[in-house]
Amino acid sequence: MIAKLNLWWMIFRISLAERLVYRGDFMLSTFVRFLPIITQILLWTAVIGAGDSDNIKGMKIGDIIAYYLLVTVARAFSSMPGLTHGIAGEIRDGEIKKYLIQPIDLIGFLLVKRIAHKLVYYMIAFVPFAIVFFLLREYFSGWPPVHTLMAFGASLLLAFCIGFFLEATFGFIAFWWLEVTSLMFIYMLMNFFFSGHMFPLDFLPDWLRNIFDCLPFQYMAYFPCAVFLGRMTEAQVIHGLWIGLGWAVFFCLTANLSFKWGVRRYSGFGG
Amino acid sequence: MPTIDVNNLTKTYRVYQKKEGLWQAIRGLGRREYKQVQAVRSISMQVQKGEFVAFLGPNGAGKTTTLKLLSGVITPTDGNATVLGHVPWKREDAYRRRFALVMGQKNQLWWDLPAQESFRLLQKIYRVPEDQFDNTHNELIDLLGVQKLLGQPVRELSLGERMKMELIAALLHRPEILFLDEPTIGLDVVAQHNIQKFLKHYQQERKITILLTSHYMKDITALCQRVVVIANGQMHYDGSLSGIIDEFGGHKNLTLQFPEGVDSLPDLDKYGKVLEVQTPRIKLQVPRSEVGAVLASILSVHPVDDVSVEDPPLEDVIANVFSTASNKEEMAST
Amino acid sequence: MQHQKPPYAAIFWTVARNSLIREMTFRVNFIAHSIALMSWTGLQLVFYNIIFQFRDSIGKDTGWTRYPFFMFLGTVMVVNSLMQTFFMPNLREFSEMIRKGNLDFVLLKPIDTQFLVTFNRIDWSSMANFALGLGVIVYSMIQMHYMPTPLQFVLFPFYLLVGVSIYYSTVLLMSCSSVWMGRNQSLDQLWFYITTFSRYPMEIYQGSLGVPIRWIFTTVFPVLLVVNVPARVLAKPLDMDQLPLAGYAVLVAIAGLFLSRMLFKFSLNKYRSASS
Repeated sequence: MIAKLNLWWMIFRISLAERLVYRGDFMLSTFVRFLPIITQILLWTAVIGAGDSDNIKGMKIGDIIAYYLLVTVARAFSSMPGLTHGIAGEIRDGEIKKYLIQPIDLIGFLLVKRIAHKLVYYMIAFVPFAIVFFLLREYFSGWPPVHTLMAFGASLLLAFCIGFFLEATFGFIAFWWLEVTSLMFIYMLMNFFFSGHMFPLDFLPDWLRNIFDCLPFQYMAYFPCAVFLGRMTEAQVIHGLWIGLGWAVFFCLTANLSFKWGVRRYSGFGG
Repeated sequence: MPTIDVNNLTKTYRVYQKKEGLWQAIRGLGRREYKQVQAVRSISMQVQKGEFVAFLGPNGAGKTTTLKLLSGVITPTDGNATVLGHVPWKREDAYRRRFALVMGQKNQLWWDLPAQESFRLLQKIYRVPEDQFDNTHNELIDLLGVQKLLGQPVRELSLGERMKMELIAALLHRPEILFLDEPTIGLDVVAQHNIQKFLKHYQQERKITILLTSHYMKDITALCQRVVVIANGQMHYDGSLSGIIDEFGGHKNLTLQFPEGVDSLPDLDKYGKVLEVQTPRIKLQVPRSEVGAVLASILSVHPVDDVSVEDPPLEDVIANVFSTASNKEEMAST
Repeated sequence: MQHQKPPYAAIFWTVARNSLIREMTFRVNFIAHSIALMSWTGLQLVFYNIIFQFRDSIGKDTGWTRYPFFMFLGTVMVVNSLMQTFFMPNLREFSEMIRKGNLDFVLLKPIDTQFLVTFNRIDWSSMANFALGLGVIVYSMIQMHYMPTPLQFVLFPFYLLVGVSIYYSTVLLMSCSSVWMGRNQSLDQLWFYITTFSRYPMEIYQGSLGVPIRWIFTTVFPVLLVVNVPARVLAKPLDMDQLPLAGYAVLVAIAGLFLSRMLFKFSLNKYRSASS
């Protein structure tokens, strides 16, 4: 057990060091990523200003901007750049063999590596994030209460887990179907829309909202933001956390099973 | 008037000294530090029509830069040159239609398409009339034996086949001058030989002028009457291939075959440098002027079955030229 | 014979044909790429449809009600697809070539280098959005029972061309700058940020934040004109205040093409004296 923990700790440290090398351009590119927020502010100001009320479905301009800002935070947890492509690439080039020989659990390895990368990202991206949030602080109505913050933290963790296991599952599909790139692109588009990355899901008609509540997507962007902005009752928050947890467990299973079956199929080929 | 006339051609360029780290990168935005690199230093030469000239030199000696200067891709820092009466770096269309450049390391054909489609495009770009295109094209395809490969995407061709296609692409507009930069790099012996055979044949047939750089001595011995040795951007030799050995190969290699069953071979150190001992054979390096004397004295003392006297391999001579060149360089700079 | 112009049209057609052959050999990719582009566009349409559920127009009294605005969106798609089909892949490759010192073959050819760089290949799969954009425009017209005048039929394509020229010059200027910058910032990222600002009607740039942005993107980087001018010609033909804007756009396009060509030549010279 101790040996195993030691191993994970080592993987974690190596990944951390690997990531820190690139810190240079990093901050700048994080800043630049906020540029589209400007056009969002202008667009929604214009949209809201065109009507008589100062809100859409109870969201004022401040709420909408705060929402878009928070979405960038949620996406920082749930997006897994390079995960699917990395796995699919290793399967295609046969690099995956390396992990099958070594006494190491591939999914665990990827997870630890990803956590390390994410932590470095948060450390470096904290500065640009803080500056942008500070500049646009007028759109927020103060800090939410502590228990909301805790629920927000939990929802971000769930967002990370769902994102990780979902994209890992996509990667393992490459065991059966080598070209996952186009599949991935369609998934990213869907995710952009269904997760609430594109606009607050509150604007959807109620029947659609009810369906989205049950799908995994919104737990990767919309849900954490809605929690933070206090747009849900306590019961709804708890309900949502349970569903999110359910999806996280579900995708954890699909990732592990698809890996297991994929390896069986792979070694069946004698590849 | 020579086809290529080069006078004191010089090319210097700066490389940006990149610094590590974010802070250095930010500072680099304001003030940058550069290092001057002299790729070609004051080269002068003339090439007549129909010559096949080889540029020899170690990596980074300035061979490729010279070819690029002559083809007008880059502009020199100093000096002048005319090729076919044109100044290359003015890049007149009239000049650019009269030569071709082939680089072993880069390809100009469309990667995913059959070479045939790239040929068609080049026909349009070089304004080759239809009948002339057909003639040249068919002739080249026959010579290189690539009929069957025309329909295959270039990416599926082997390196050697790809080089053949690159050559066809370069020759479609019937250039009067051909610049070849490492045309056989990475090819296996058979493919190398095929390319050499083709170049030799084509050059004799068409009487075109060819400048070639290569690492392979085989290319050069097979093709070129004239060799230019470049090291550190400077010319160190310009003349015939055999002349290099006369000028730089100060030694001969002496191989002595002793009778079978001789247990101990005589100590020959005093006669010259022992290169190799393979009982019962010894290889000895002897200064050219002393070959006769050494041979006579050995034969008078030891029983020898067989003797051969050879020039050292060209590679060794050339390596010798390069190392003396860079030694001179160091001497001059200190 | 010696002074005859190179047959640019013939070269263009050969490139177009070769590109098509190439894309047909990767048929699955071609279809997947088209579908992906079209789904992205579809999502945009859904997004704005949702907005129009709550408001009648984008901005108060701007005239950008549902169908005029959809004409605007259609214009965005058409302009962007033209850029992606003809210019973006080539300019991307050009800045790669500069960075890696790979311009040799381009510089050797006896035709205009800018032409060769600009029409190196064509990405036909991006034309899917062109058709879709035109479809959206026509659909909106039908919904509005609106028939453009003959003048508009001439002016719309003309201003599309003006818009694409402005985009083209902007991207060419940026890719030329890789001679100096040599940075790894990819052209696509820059392109993304440009289109982020140019794909909205000018009217949304209001207030202390919007006015400076509008100013910057109509003068320094005049990309706001690219979509706005042709879309206005089609959707808001009766606005008299757009006349100076339309004239200005033409001037900007000409100046842009001129400037970018100058910089292109300049950067080639710089490249040729700086590399070995």
